[in-house]
Amino acid sequence: MQRLISWILYYKGFIIAGLLAVLIISVYIAGEMAIRLESDEIQTGPLRFLSLAWQEEAVAVVQEITQDWNQAHPEQQVELIQGTWNAVHDYLITGFETGDIPDIFHYESAVIVDFALRGYLADLAPYISDEMRDDILDVNWASVTRPTGAVMGIPFLAESSIILYNLDLINEAGVIAPTNEDPWTWDDLHIAAKKLTKDRDGDGVIDQWGTAMGLRNSANILMNQSIAFGGSFFYYDEQGDIEVRVSKPEKELIGNLARMLFVDKTMSPSGVGKSGAEMIPGFLAGNYAMVVGIGSWARQQVVENAAEGFNWAVMPPLKAVTQNMGVNTQTLSIPRSCKRTAIAMEFIQFLLSSENTTRLAASDWMLPTRQSSLEDPRLQADSTGWKVVTANAQFLSTGPWVGLPGYIEWKSRVANPIFQEFFSQRISLDEAAERIESESNSVLARYQVRGLKW
Amino acid sequence: MQISKLLASRSLKRRIGNLLMHGLILTFLLYLLFPLIWMISTSFKTTAEIYSGIPSLIPKVFTGEHYLTVFQEERLLKSIANSLYVGIITAIIVVMISLPAAYALSRYKTAVNKVVMGWILTSQIFPAILIMIPLFLVLRSLHLTDTLSGLVLVYVVWDIPFVLWMLQGYVKEIPIELEEAAAIDGASQTQIIYKIIMPLLLPAIGAAVLFAFISAWNEFFFALVLLKSPDLSTLPVELARYTGIEGQSRTGPLAAASFIATIPSIVLFAILRKWFSSGALQGAVKG
Repeated sequence: MQRLISWILYYKGFIIAGLLAVLIISVYIAGEMAIRLESDEIQTGPLRFLSLAWQEEAVAVVQEITQDWNQAHPEQQVELIQGTWNAVHDYLITGFETGDIPDIFHYESAVIVDFALRGYLADLAPYISDEMRDDILDVNWASVTRPTGAVMGIPFLAESSIILYNLDLINEAGVIAPTNEDPWTWDDLHIAAKKLTKDRDGDGVIDQWGTAMGLRNSANILMNQSIAFGGSFFYYDEQGDIEVRVSKPEKELIGNLARMLFVDKTMSPSGVGKSGAEMIPGFLAGNYAMVVGIGSWARQQVVENAAEGFNWAVMPPLKAVTQNMGVNTQTLSIPRSCKRTAIAMEFIQFLLSSENTTRLAASDWMLPTRQSSLEDPRLQADSTGWKVVTANAQFLSTGPWVGLPGYIEWKSRVANPIFQEFFSQRISLDEAAERIESESNSVLARYQVRGLKW
Repeated sequence: MQISKLLASRSLKRRIGNLLMHGLILTFLLYLLFPLIWMISTSFKTTAEIYSGIPSLIPKVFTGEHYLTVFQEERLLKSIANSLYVGIITAIIVVMISLPAAYALSRYKTAVNKVVMGWILTSQIFPAILIMIPLFLVLRSLHLTDTLSGLVLVYVVWDIPFVLWMLQGYVKEIPIELEEAAAIDGASQTQIIYKIIMPLLLPAIGAAVLFAFISAWNEFFFALVLLKSPDLSTLPVELARYTGIEGQSRTGPLAAASFIATIPSIVLFAILRKWFSSGALQGAVKG
């Protein structure tokens, strides 16, 4: 005992410091807990809405609409949470697993499939008004509707792939740009690309490329474009089992790109390691006459960043067998754990009214999913490419990968890396095709074993 | 004559060696500094110049528009305040706990020391994503999710093992003879700690404060998942909102906000720099 006392006396400085630290931390945390408990009691419970709008203009529109709702519905406020595309998946997954998830969240149709399959999402079908059901195009509904009729999210913006072109360079080369009525074929593109690829300063190095394309994560664009060639990468057999095949139509599409990159050398090789957005500076600098397979949102980057006098326009989709292309939609969903689905859905209907959908599409420079918005004069301006973009709605088509369990994993772990290897010329097209087929089917088989069904 | 030639050739070799070494150091320094310089340069370029596709280190036209945009966004300022709060409190608590613990671990050999050190190393193995969900559930049961205090608590727990490991290494370097000499002169244990050990540990404390602050200041994932209210958002989470889908970003404001984000770390390092001066122990013990 005496030893203990002397030990304590000897180390009293330490002990006091340690106790002080523990005391400070405890008081700090206890105070915070008390505040939280109190605030939980007085919480009136606003609905939490996670938005992924990120452009200044789009953020402002979402804020305005939310404020309008809050003014009109003092009894049921909505709290806007600004999310980020880069981390939304982790944010939502942890939210679903812990039960602490926003009541309404913004994401995209290709991804919410996995959430739906895990039983995380509420079926919104019973809450959708007739007006909304009729106005949103069927192809967009198809991206979020299960075969049972359950609707996993409300599609409000659709991604549409476009071709941007430099009007001055096209005119200078004497190339006649295509129109909605008279679109180009891939052969037309090859011919024009040859005319537009130039060594302007005569130093033996090409400084103006006919085309450019961001190929870093090319799976998405190749999937969507393959539909025009009559392909789709995913094929159902008679038993209803899915199989990945890189057959003639898919090879034709990839071969066209390979021809421009490696044979004709009319496509800038710098796009191999870049995203679509990263091609814009080169386009604005006049290094690329055309940027192929970029999202319609890219127009906003051009409008905001182009030097004065920069003349540009948008081409309609290239014609292969058809001009069709796959669609991916941005959606608003409600978690199944939400206790106030009806009122949350009321907010979604308010947010996605025809007028508001037009505003959201205009601010995000994307295709609205509503027919009435597509016809709105604000989305028909010729100078900013809206006329061509809205006309693209007729070519949207649902790929067989919609609702496919494991599609996201397939895209990121199989397709993107293999395409990357191919476009870097590390493997041939046949090798790429063979590897995609063998590796894909093993990934998808895992999901089939789990028994997940859209 | 031969000796003078030899000396001259040795001196020449030394000079060339020095020159090469300085050249290497300078290259390495430039390599480290280049991203920062590029970020600062970008933050002062006009949007048109950023998107011109012509790389240039010095902006053609200097503009403060991106800083103006950033400072007009109230939430970014709020997030800076939140990050400062979280970083400072974390650094203080981490050092308060780690310092005595590091001293005890390095000076008092007990059977549990090895176990404790082993556990500290083991705890570093787990990635954040692995513990996120259980951690969230524990914090929620304590009503500490969506609070800065909860985040501080996580950062403290996350940072302590490394800081403790680092500090106990420093403590080990301090010769025990210094403490014994002080004890012979009649100093109590407390006096030994605060008057002998602490001044010698200042560089280590500086490094620990810097590490704890910067790791809290830069941390993204815990802040993203644990904080739901927009008002509580920290700076890294706010910065992520300048980037969008498919590689798009608001590059100008992002560069300006990122530069602002580096300032506290630079300032803190400048303040603590003198603590890092080495050689405090040189000659402390004779022989």
